[in-house]
Amino acid sequence: MSHLTNIVRKELKELLTPGSVLSVMAMVVLFAMLGGLVGGEVEKAKVLPAIALVDDANGETTLPDGTHWSLYSTVAKIYSGSIPEGKSIDDYVVRLTSTDLPDGSLDRAALQAKIQEKGINSAIIVPDEFSELIQGKKQAYLEQMYLYEAEGMFGSSPSIMASTVVGSLGTSLSYSLLVGVVGAEDYGFYSSPIKTGSGTMVNGKYVEDVTPSEISSQVSSQTMMVPIVIMIIIMMVGSIVISSMGSEKENKTLETLLTLPIKRTTIVTGKIVAAAIVGLVYGLAYMVGMSFYMNALTSEITSGVKLEDVGLGFDGPDYALLLLSMFLSIVCALGICMILGAFAKNYKSAQTMTMPLSILAMIPAFVIMFSGWYGSSPIIQGILFAIPFSHPMIAMQALMYNDYTLVLSGIAYMAAFAVVAIMVTVRLYSSDILITGLGQNRTYQRLTGKKR
Amino acid sequence: MTDALVLNDVHKSYGNREAVHGITLSVREGEIFGLLGHNGAGKTTTLRMISTLLQITSGSIQVYGYDVATQPEKVREVISYLPEDAGAYKDLTGRAYLEFISKFYTTGEEQKEMVRRGIELADLGDRIDSKVDTYSKGMMRRLLIARAVMPSPKLAIMDEVTSGLDVINAYEIREVIRSIARNGVTVIMSSHNMFEVEMLCDRVGMIDQGNLILLGTPEELKERFGAKNLEEVFVRAVRGS
Repeated sequence: MSHLTNIVRKELKELLTPGSVLSVMAMVVLFAMLGGLVGGEVEKAKVLPAIALVDDANGETTLPDGTHWSLYSTVAKIYSGSIPEGKSIDDYVVRLTSTDLPDGSLDRAALQAKIQEKGINSAIIVPDEFSELIQGKKQAYLEQMYLYEAEGMFGSSPSIMASTVVGSLGTSLSYSLLVGVVGAEDYGFYSSPIKTGSGTMVNGKYVEDVTPSEISSQVSSQTMMVPIVIMIIIMMVGSIVISSMGSEKENKTLETLLTLPIKRTTIVTGKIVAAAIVGLVYGLAYMVGMSFYMNALTSEITSGVKLEDVGLGFDGPDYALLLLSMFLSIVCALGICMILGAFAKNYKSAQTMTMPLSILAMIPAFVIMFSGWYGSSPIIQGILFAIPFSHPMIAMQALMYNDYTLVLSGIAYMAAFAVVAIMVTVRLYSSDILITGLGQNRTYQRLTGKKR
Repeated sequence: MTDALVLNDVHKSYGNREAVHGITLSVREGEIFGLLGHNGAGKTTTLRMISTLLQITSGSIQVYGYDVATQPEKVREVISYLPEDAGAYKDLTGRAYLEFISKFYTTGEEQKEMVRRGIELADLGDRIDSKVDTYSKGMMRRLLIARAVMPSPKLAIMDEVTSGLDVINAYEIREVIRSIARNGVTVIMSSHNMFEVEMLCDRVGMIDQGNLILLGTPEELKERFGAKNLEEVFVRAVRGS
């Protein structure tokens, strides 16, 4: 067994303790449960909501051409195609009567009680004069009344349904009225004399019937996970490596390790490789957990646009570049951690030292999530480029837009950064600082003016 | 008898503070050499320089002919360093810790034999398979002594090897040191326990404020100062220096 393998195995034994594995598993379960909750909300939102129709038979109308138009029948027709098997229209459209207060106004409290009793939270109220106004060719009024309840993230879906029903009622009535005037054949023209169409240029390709906002929402849903996962991996791996160094110093094992017949580069590489393996294991676990959550979240709320269809999808080389970018960002993080860890006095101070790394991981994650690379100013772009962890997050967007120059220059930058970081680490491991700390360093003393 | 260790005008500075001022001494092969001095005298710094942990500011150190500054990896092949208050990896068992260390020295049957020797030296019975973080200070020290001795180093460097141990544990560890020296291992150890050094060491060097103030066998030093023991020698030497 090589010395490197020996170090890596020892590090893995220390890092992958039952406790740490359990906590990661718990995180996966937590995300899966969150996904389940979101999925449950989505399922709830998908259930056809019932509405109350408070019409007091006021919606039965004789139109100017003598034909009859029934508001209830129209609502029933709108619902008919969506009613699940074994259910009837009465389960979804509940007709209620209203009561008036002594001053003649609608008794809303009584109506609320009736609606709540039926387990419904939206109603369409048809006023007494509805039929009369329509017959007199005057605009009639339909009121949608909602009961606000503290619901989950998709609690607005019943109100959307009531609005849809009211909109369809208008269309239906408009049709019935116009057919009597212009005839069924010309109705299509009179109701909609202009036909519109839309399309968007994406990556130099014209895609019909797609708006930028639809593409944008789909891109966001696809790219949101990478910054979060990268941020978590960097913070986690950073904490692992710095804490490992802190523990070595606190448990006084570092001095022994450094006097064993092995090269300093082997020790540094062993620690980096082990932390990278653990980081990848944790990262995969988080990705699995997050995918449960994100799939549940995005399956219903994003547009139906497929990114592949608009030329923004990923192919094999794109995934390879993204993985390379992720790997290099982890190596850069480990390099920085090894440098920071060299200055940790013990486990506790090591925990504090993870702070700069966490901030460096959080800045690009939030900027990329909210502004994106292409929406950021040149100064922000410069800052993002300088932070090595930004690049896989940037790559996710850049690869969609075939901006390979940006992706490849990011990869080159990270490779150079990683080499420099490892060289600095090896130099630190060969210096006194690892044993004596910064306080005994001549340069540090000169800079801080401290003498011991 | 050849020299196992040679320090020639060794200086060590931390920033503007010089911790070791030009120490020159040599340790013969198979000898147990004691570095005496109070806390902060420069004993640990000297041992750390010999162990390749700290860089030498000026001067030179040779371990079995290898230069510490230019051939640190060669030096690490022939030494074994036991730091003061050293620990072992808490998540490993005593056996796993010895196995981990042994793999840096050898492989195959030789490595298994090295571990067997380490387990025998540690003499922890069934507890060798317990996690290290359950060990008492004495047990931990025995494990670490075993770790330091099992690779059969040419030079064993031990810093305050019995500090904080009870009488029995300290006695047993001194026996181990005597035994390895009988087998040809050179030992350089630091201590501020004068009686321990007097009992154990063939020669001693006394350090005060980074200076080597005395060098010789315990008998020579006692005779020179007309003292009953090394403690008196040290006190008289320090007050007179």
